[in-house]
Amino acid sequence: MLLFILRRLLVIIPMALIVVSITWGLVRLAPGNFYSGEKKLPASIEANIREKYGLDKPWYQQYGMMIWNVVRGDFGDSLKYEGQSVNEIIRRHLPYSAILGFCAYLLALFIGLTAGLIASLKQNSKFDYGAMSVSMTGQSVPNFVIGPILVLIFSFGLYLLPPARYNGVLSLIMPVITLAAIYAAYIARLTRAGMLEVLRSDYIRTARAKGLSEWTVLLRHALKGGLIPVVSYTGPALAGLLAGTVVVEKVFAYPGLGSVFIQALLNRDEPLILGIVAFLSIMIMIFNLLVDISYAFLDPRIRYE
Amino acid sequence: MRCSLGKVRLGVFFLVLSLLVSSCGTSAKGKYYGKTVAPTDGILRYVSGSEPRSLDPAIGTGQPEARIYMALFDGLVDYHPKDMSPIPSLAESWEISNDGTEYLFNLRKNAKFSDGTPITAKDFVYSFRRALSPELAAENAVLAFFIKYSQAYNAGDAFVKDSAGKFLLKEDSAKNVESGSPVVDLAKTSIGTQTEFDKFINEPERLTVPGAEKDRAKLFEKDTKLKDKLAGMEFVPVVAENVGVEAVDDYKFRIKLNQPAPYFLGLLAHQFFKVVPPHTIEKFGKNWIRPENIVTSGTFKVLQYRPYDTLNVTKDENNWDAANVKIKGIEFYPLEDQTTMMNLYKAGSIDAIYNHTVPPPWIREIMAAYPDEYMNHPEAATEFYVISVKKPPMDNLKVRQAFALAVDRKALAKLLVVKKPLVDFTPEGIFPQYEEARKKVQDVKLKELNISEEQWKNRIFDPERARKLLGEAGFAVEGSEGNFQSPKFPIDNVSILYNTSESNKITAEFMQDQWKKNLGITVPLKNMEFKTFLPTLTKVEYQGFGRRGWVADYMDPFTYLGLFYTEANDGATGWFDKKYDALLSEANKTIDTEKRFTLLAEAEFYMMQQQLVVPLSTAATNWMKKPYLKGFYPNPGTLHAWKFAYIESDPAKWDKDVDNIMKEKDPAVEEQLAKLMSTQTQFEEKAKAEMTKTATP
Repeated sequence: MLLFILRRLLVIIPMALIVVSITWGLVRLAPGNFYSGEKKLPASIEANIREKYGLDKPWYQQYGMMIWNVVRGDFGDSLKYEGQSVNEIIRRHLPYSAILGFCAYLLALFIGLTAGLIASLKQNSKFDYGAMSVSMTGQSVPNFVIGPILVLIFSFGLYLLPPARYNGVLSLIMPVITLAAIYAAYIARLTRAGMLEVLRSDYIRTARAKGLSEWTVLLRHALKGGLIPVVSYTGPALAGLLAGTVVVEKVFAYPGLGSVFIQALLNRDEPLILGIVAFLSIMIMIFNLLVDISYAFLDPRIRYE
Repeated sequence: MRCSLGKVRLGVFFLVLSLLVSSCGTSAKGKYYGKTVAPTDGILRYVSGSEPRSLDPAIGTGQPEARIYMALFDGLVDYHPKDMSPIPSLAESWEISNDGTEYLFNLRKNAKFSDGTPITAKDFVYSFRRALSPELAAENAVLAFFIKYSQAYNAGDAFVKDSAGKFLLKEDSAKNVESGSPVVDLAKTSIGTQTEFDKFINEPERLTVPGAEKDRAKLFEKDTKLKDKLAGMEFVPVVAENVGVEAVDDYKFRIKLNQPAPYFLGLLAHQFFKVVPPHTIEKFGKNWIRPENIVTSGTFKVLQYRPYDTLNVTKDENNWDAANVKIKGIEFYPLEDQTTMMNLYKAGSIDAIYNHTVPPPWIREIMAAYPDEYMNHPEAATEFYVISVKKPPMDNLKVRQAFALAVDRKALAKLLVVKKPLVDFTPEGIFPQYEEARKKVQDVKLKELNISEEQWKNRIFDPERARKLLGEAGFAVEGSEGNFQSPKFPIDNVSILYNTSESNKITAEFMQDQWKKNLGITVPLKNMEFKTFLPTLTKVEYQGFGRRGWVADYMDPFTYLGLFYTEANDGATGWFDKKYDALLSEANKTIDTEKRFTLLAEAEFYMMQQQLVVPLSTAATNWMKKPYLKGFYPNPGTLHAWKFAYIESDPAKWDKDVDNIMKEKDPAVEEQLAKLMSTQTQFEEKAKAEMTKTATP
């Protein structure tokens, strides 16, 4: 098991480098650059800019520099935001996204698991249909619709919550609900499906035949197996949630990493794009590893040699 | 039980529905849009636009940054709060040499940076040289290229010295010397105390060539004559000290231009020319703009900065004009999402929003329901389609004219609600004096060219003539009203290219419909993400039409007409024309405003006769402010002189019907303005009095 973890951890580094290299290539292929604007720059000014940021060097030198920076974990300064380092920008905005993402994750898990479990236990009941139609709605209504509806109700109807910007705990409520809605819906459906499958399996029948109480069967035997699809979905989903979510952050003018990332892409801010991509890819790989590890605990049939 | 639960559910449903309905509509019962309570803490809350690129005024190029720099940094002159003309700021007065190439500014003696260090002419010299330095690589440096040798310094060019130790002159300067015309007439070209530098900078302009050997070789390859001429000569790099800015003494700052530029004074209010603290920059390098290090020169200083969230600035008591600043501070929120902005405005969390931010579908209702808040005034911003004039079929003037005539501009303006139809190239209602001159020029030209009054009037929309022109060009339009067709027109060779945005799409679809309806040609639409769109457009890689908007850099028609000036122009049509260039050059050399405007108008007329563009509309400001925020005007660039803004706590004195806000005279603002302007008017009067004294001995 330890060897397995070590091996996987080692793979993360070359994988991240590959991801960053591909991203670098894509950014370079995209037309336009960080300084292009509505007004054309005189050639001499463009030359000054290219020299200032080392863009006048041959591409392999620039690529080498970039890889070296990534290996050192220092992505240099943002091109767009003069004097701000990429690491500093990520460090500044990650906590905002992480808090929002984590709260949304907990809420989604709570709602999704509860609804999914009850629906699976009372299959084809009114509750099941109700929960599944709500979750279907939750899944299909995009959050740029849910967000403004919440704002209409809670900010301009009831005057309870601020409509946008981060200003303490109160301003977290609506973004968290908006963000959690889709995940909760999906988790509910996954839980229901997973549980239904497990509940019909042989080992549950055996457990029941042994005369175990329904609660023990459910919690100790069924839940573990039934949750595997949920875990494989929510692991990487958590990585994405923590790293920021563009739409919700935009709707609520929330200073998270998601809006920074999108802005970086639109600005062609190469170091910032690479920094966030590297960070995201490493995070997703680590969470995937955690998911794989948790399989071993959830399902006794899975063993890592 | 069941029944009651059903009732509860139904009740909840209706509650939610009623909430939605009551809050959805913008036609709230109140007189004002949402919560309208004047803040008591004296802090103004404003949405500044996208996240500022930097707090360094030499770096940021956009309006979002400009709004912030207006608070943090002062320059020689400032924008007038209503019309954006230059008014005294750190320079309390100025004079201009007879030939319009030299400016002498008398600085205030009580001006200080936010750390208490006095601001002197040396700081201006430092700020200008720094902003122009190739190392800083400022994109806006181009704005300063009228300053003598600034472009050469910025480009890393070199002077050329012959074996006798004499510097070679630029061709036209050299011609002057040869023909024996007076080379340096300091009385005409210079103003103020004569210094060594002044003598140097007033000498005929020297020849400059690329400083780097590689670039020079490239030039010589193209120009072998020059190569032979310069063989064996010495190349002396143009350095910062050569740039035409000088501290005559601590409080006299002089600028030398390489040619007259009558709008230069107005341009000096631009962020690029603001004064920055040399001592802080030398100490902290690129980190001088960090909140813990930054030292500013404006009416406000940085209190706290949380990127993507808030920039808090507070009144700087060290500022020379602090006594006249009425608000205690400003909170800038970097926001771009229109709905979010409107929500914050409605909730009373912000006092004003910036231009073009009321979402198009809301405008009609908001305009009608909130006349005390909605700003609908002309803006120095136009929208037009450029034409790729080198590629067939658009290389045919008649085809271009046909397309331009076949657009119902009034209908477009009506569709977009806040736009005004545009038939010329410069915006309507922004440069009134120029528009008068243009009218006169047009009258003369129409007679010359035998164009009837009616035909000229109809150029706003004349589908019949459009079809006729297209026919003359060889693409006859067949069919009748409602079913026109132009079977010969090579539809594959044209398209409408625009950068992805909702409003651009609305316009493009409208244009497509117009041309289909009036010419029987369905031009395909092509949209691209902004950064992808830009090179396609500017390198004229598109076919047919490209969407363009142009916002004035300074309040002079040249900011528009310059778009097609010289071969390296930014017009994105592939067109340049020596006659047009000559007219503009001549205009810029002309000091008399009326004559100058006549020349500019002639250039505009000439350019419009070539139909390089399909002019569409002049924009309107389209923003809102709370009625209690006063001294805050819908000027043509939406850049606010914060020192005039104040919060009125008495609802009886709040702004009403802001359509008239530009005509109304607010005593508080007028008094403050008069006081500011008085230094320059007094100076001018004194100079006049002295002139008459010397004239009558």
